Amino acid sequence: MKVPDTKGNKINAIIRACRIITRMNQANPDTPKSEALYYQMLSSYYTRLRNAHDEGGFIAAHTVFFPSEILYAMDIVPMHTEMTTWMMALFLGEQAEILSAGAELGLVPEICSPHRGLAGAFALGALPRPDAMLWSNLICDNTAKSGELIMELTKCPGFFLDHPFQRSEAEDKYLVSELEDMIDFLEEKSGQKMDWDKLSEIVQKMDHQMELLREIGELRKAVPSPFPNRGFLQLLTVDYLCPGQPEAIAYLETLRDELAEKVREGKGAVSPERFRLMTLFVPPMYLMGFLEKIGQEYGAVSVVEPLFTRWAEGKLDPSRPLESVARKTAMIPERRSMYGPLSQEVLQDLIDCAEQYKVDGAVYWAFMGCRHTCATVKLFKDLLNEVDVPVMTIDCDIVDPTINSEAEIREKMEQFFEMLEDR
Amino acid sequence: MVIDVTQTTAGQLKTLGRFRQINDTFPRTEQIREHKNQGKKVFGWLCTYVPEEIIHAAGILPVRVTGYSQEMELEDGNAYLYINNCSFSRSCLQMGLRGEYEFLDGMVAGSTCDGARRLFDLWQHYIKTPFYHILTVPRKYTEKAHGLYYQQVVQFKEHLEEFLSQKIADEQLRHSIEVYNQARVLLKQLYELRKADTPPISGAETMEVLNTSFHMPKETFNQWLKELLDELGKSSNRHQGRARLMVVGSVMNNPEFIKSIEAQRGLVVTDELCTSTRYWSDPVVLAEGQSPVKAISRRYLSNFPCARMVPSDERFRRILNLVKEFKVDGVVSQIIRYCVPYAHDLPLLRDRLKDIGVPMLALDVEYGTSGSGQIQTRVQAFLEMLEARKR
Repeated sequence: MKVPDTKGNKINAIIRACRIITRMNQANPDTPKSEALYYQMLSSYYTRLRNAHDEGGFIAAHTVFFPSEILYAMDIVPMHTEMTTWMMALFLGEQAEILSAGAELGLVPEICSPHRGLAGAFALGALPRPDAMLWSNLICDNTAKSGELIMELTKCPGFFLDHPFQRSEAEDKYLVSELEDMIDFLEEKSGQKMDWDKLSEIVQKMDHQMELLREIGELRKAVPSPFPNRGFLQLLTVDYLCPGQPEAIAYLETLRDELAEKVREGKGAVSPERFRLMTLFVPPMYLMGFLEKIGQEYGAVSVVEPLFTRWAEGKLDPSRPLESVARKTAMIPERRSMYGPLSQEVLQDLIDCAEQYKVDGAVYWAFMGCRHTCATVKLFKDLLNEVDVPVMTIDCDIVDPTINSEAEIREKMEQFFEMLEDR
Repeated sequence: MVIDVTQTTAGQLKTLGRFRQINDTFPRTEQIREHKNQGKKVFGWLCTYVPEEIIHAAGILPVRVTGYSQEMELEDGNAYLYINNCSFSRSCLQMGLRGEYEFLDGMVAGSTCDGARRLFDLWQHYIKTPFYHILTVPRKYTEKAHGLYYQQVVQFKEHLEEFLSQKIADEQLRHSIEVYNQARVLLKQLYELRKADTPPISGAETMEVLNTSFHMPKETFNQWLKELLDELGKSSNRHQGRARLMVVGSVMNNPEFIKSIEAQRGLVVTDELCTSTRYWSDPVVLAEGQSPVKAISRRYLSNFPCARMVPSDERFRRILNLVKEFKVDGVVSQIIRYCVPYAHDLPLLRDRLKDIGVPMLALDVEYGTSGSGQIQTRVQAFLEMLEARKR
């Protein structure tokens, strides 16, 4: 398997797109300041990635839910593989090209599209060649299996981080020992040493970042809810790309303050607010604009995403940085609900969310590439129906627009809103 | 007597008929009924990373949970697990939901793949079985991973002891290791016979034997298999086909699929499936004075690996060895739709086989398929290509 020269990669195009959006936002005085900070954060992440090799930096590609705090502490440049594929889909609309390249490698359509896409993107040379590939089984078989093909395509060394399925003292220790082995691997390959003081600082900031995310979650309980539908993706991006980084903190603090002000003023993201929705799993990335629009039309707003934005309670301890990084992985919302046995606690939390956020209805985005979440569609529906919350399920693909048309999703959502109205 | 692989020897081999009867009646077999009638317990297990010896040593009959033996409409499976989980897990769940496994006193799984873990989650929620346990199964083979898995097996044993209100003694574990190792040795002997240019048993017949191995008491299975091996040793029957094939990929326990390949005179001589070679290949090695639980846990984690394990090189190395040992002309990969671990490995395995000049036919299938229709056409074309290469 050979890949072309990566000089023509698509990172520049993502940076350009972010800058254009930033300029458009600057021209509009009504744009919240947090919005500008978000795109600056993206632009800065991808600029660092683009310049890495020219500046003698070491790039580590990694899969989703990976503890990139460690990379930042070692001054290694992270490249979030799934997120970068999503960004290409979102900003450049080049899904077809990268998915087709994935298919040419022999990856069947049943494999989740971001993973087919990222393999395709590497095969096309659309992403910079990593100096190391890091991947883990958090959160599914796709993440567990995507690393080796990328190593082969890009001829780079790799490290698989084995994430235990359940939590116990022994399993927590195992995860910490895995992190230690990964640090050894990175030190050897990059020639860069772990800066433990820096890791402690990052952990401290990450603790604050989680607190901010929880505060934002609390503010969204207000009626009307102040947070727009399009913001969901931004909340995910912050942790995926910049955990414990100053730009993430700046964005979240600003966002929190803006939301608090809106709550004080009784202003909602949609006006009038008619339907408070729970979002289960992730809507198609390329439909975020459409969802914002239809939300405004019908007064529908997503107030909570239990699988993605509901952070567990708890504190990190900067004096024990590695244990804290391991502990944080257990606190992320996705880990709680989508990895490990489906506990009674997780199921109860879903019901609590519906009540606390005064949810009128739930939309389950059944992403066909995500088997382990779709396995919960009926179970979650049964539980939510018990507390009188109707659930609409929409089969979709989060990056491939050929699976659903906007018109088809509009029709389904309109029918759902009509049903909620009748209730 | 050299016979074409399209012909079955079941009529001539007395013991093969007994194996077939188990397959035809599972899960409502006479053996399971008898075991229950004696007041003993039966546990279901999912995936080959569940240490059966622990269950057996507790006096419980371990039975592998499998789905329908043919491709079926899976209305309940689809509704509960959604259509994008593999048809194996949907088929198993549907059988559970419809009461086919109501005799089970326990269900044990490992965190082996997304399909298996979600099947376990929903089984626990919707099907009321008295005992449940899921083991964290590391994906690596390092000493630390072995350490973690050992602790998992110990926890499972303790959980089981608590449920039964009785201790499982080392002596019982040693006995179970002997029984299971004997099955492994006998199955290896059966496979050795298939290395011959004209083996005395076909691939489909072998699958019938394997399918019973995890659905009945091991002691009886061992006895039956010994008798079959005796018969095969005396038999003059020899199978021949157009090409020697190996089947790899997802879970598969339907002899009809192999039969459909052999009906076109493709002789299946070996395989890499969790229902076959990966089930029996490695014995539990119990050193003098060693804890039996430690020996069991080591064997289960370092056994012929599933595609879930990292790195995949060990699985590929073992497949390539089998290709050489069994003089395989071509490999048939059958991957159940949405069986992601195997799907990810496919391009890597194809490249490695290509390097040693062995072609691969990649089939997307559903669990329980009999291999009819388009699959037959593709197998036919593959066999023609293999024949052309020989000329």
